[in-house]
Amino acid sequence: MVLSCAGLSLGYPGHVVARDLSFSLHPGEVTAVIGHNGSGKTTLIKTVLGVNAPAAGSLYWTDPRPREIGYLAQLTEFDRRFPIRVRELAAMGAWRGLGFWGGVDEAARVRITAALKATGVEAIAEKPLHQLSGGQLQRALFARVIVQNAPVVLLDEPFAAVDQTTEAQLLELISQWAAEGRAVILVVHDLSSVLESCSHALLLGDGSGLFGTVEEVVTPENLVQYGYYSASQAAWFERASARHSAKAKGGVDV
Amino acid sequence: MFDSLFGWIEEMWSFAFMRRAFVATTVLSVSVAPVGAFLVLRRLSLAGEAMAHAITPGIVIAFVGYGLSVVSLLVGGLAAGVLVAVLTSLVSRVTILRTDASLASLYLIALALGIFILSAAGSAVPLKSFLFGSILGIDDETMILIGGVATFTLISFALLIRPLIVSTLDPTFFEAQSRNPVLVEQLFMLLVVLNLLAAFKTLGTLMAVGLMILPATAARYWSSTITGQLFVGFLFALASCWIGLAVSFLAPETPSGPSIVLVAGVIFLLSVVFSPLGLRARGRGGSGAVPTTTTEGGLKE
Repeated sequence: MVLSCAGLSLGYPGHVVARDLSFSLHPGEVTAVIGHNGSGKTTLIKTVLGVNAPAAGSLYWTDPRPREIGYLAQLTEFDRRFPIRVRELAAMGAWRGLGFWGGVDEAARVRITAALKATGVEAIAEKPLHQLSGGQLQRALFARVIVQNAPVVLLDEPFAAVDQTTEAQLLELISQWAAEGRAVILVVHDLSSVLESCSHALLLGDGSGLFGTVEEVVTPENLVQYGYYSASQAAWFERASARHSAKAKGGVDV
Repeated sequence: MFDSLFGWIEEMWSFAFMRRAFVATTVLSVSVAPVGAFLVLRRLSLAGEAMAHAITPGIVIAFVGYGLSVVSLLVGGLAAGVLVAVLTSLVSRVTILRTDASLASLYLIALALGIFILSAAGSAVPLKSFLFGSILGIDDETMILIGGVATFTLISFALLIRPLIVSTLDPTFFEAQSRNPVLVEQLFMLLVVLNLLAAFKTLGTLMAVGLMILPATAARYWSSTITGQLFVGFLFALASCWIGLAVSFLAPETPSGPSIVLVAGVIFLLSVVFSPLGLRARGRGGSGAVPTTTTEGGLKE
């Protein structure tokens, strides 16, 4: 186990958005965080990241807290007119190790080039950010996460502005990170991504949360109870997930 | 024609106060260029303008009490800047006003208070020089102040450039990476106030921020890299100072501040239209096009 918490409350001074959360992160697992707008998904990410203090309770890191935590913010928080190139953005992932003055050494350079290649942005490495599409920018940010080489990775809505091909390729990268033994938290709205790629889920809503395996948590009843789906959406989801299960087992569509 | 131009430049250079003004504004350009670039990149252009007005009462009180000494200007200006910043933060935290509205309210009060005290005290320095600067006001102490602030600014940027870039581009990522993220912001605002004070005598309290913002905004149209923008911003600031000083020399009734800032303004307007990232490039469908959010993720150009 990398991280655990019990009785954790999330929020800001004078405003708690989710109470009494209990969950744990393990190496090699991808945990989905789902919930309606304002349920505390981004607040959770920032609390694990150490930027926000818990409103109550504590986070317990099994070993000392990792020096580096991979982090990808929502694209809306990002200034795309900032005068920097794709390669420099990816290189930011190495800056903590390099300190104030340290130049990018050969090892870091190799890591950066490999990350650009893995995310498919090597050909546009010298392009400024303002010339990138949403998908290209998201790939460049994934390259920065790879360069960070962190044991824990937090991704806040990484598929919000990308097409389905890019989403599928980025999901492959996330699965690869899990296979390498990293613990990943993925804030996501599309439940098909959750069913496809995540082992665990934390469902937030109406001031509380539910944690467990995807099969335990992502059920129509829970999605309605935590305010994520209406009853009719839940019925549609039930049919869709039945089809998904049948496909996964090699059966025919139901 | 060239003979008369060189003759005129020679005449201008023969005055000690003009030589001082050229040297002082050259050093000032080196100092304000990086500060202005990051004010713009951090979307603090208007906050910089507000801060320039906010330090006015501190400078005025220091001036009325202790004369135009460098130490009194520094102490008075810094005290007023910090006071307005703290009050702004307090008002926006404990009342319903947002930061921009509370800052605007407080800087207007500060500016009015400064002008009121200066007028009521029957200042020996004309109000116009105080607000808009004067090339005659650059004495030895001012040269030392500008040199000191420029040195401190350049050393600080050598230390802070990497944290400044990360904190500007992706604040949450920076907060997660840094042990004391607020320190970078505070140090940067200190640099802003110090440079405003250094520019005060040449440009005046109302125009000081103009030399920071206009060359920096113009430079954004010419380069897509930070290094490029810092360098172009410096060149534009330098050109604005030299041409502005010459204009002010030619027309002695015009204060130096507006002359310098007006030249910077012309450079900005020309950049908006004719630069590689400006309107003309956009019209041709070039790289000046403003980014929009798309969902294209592939690598096809």
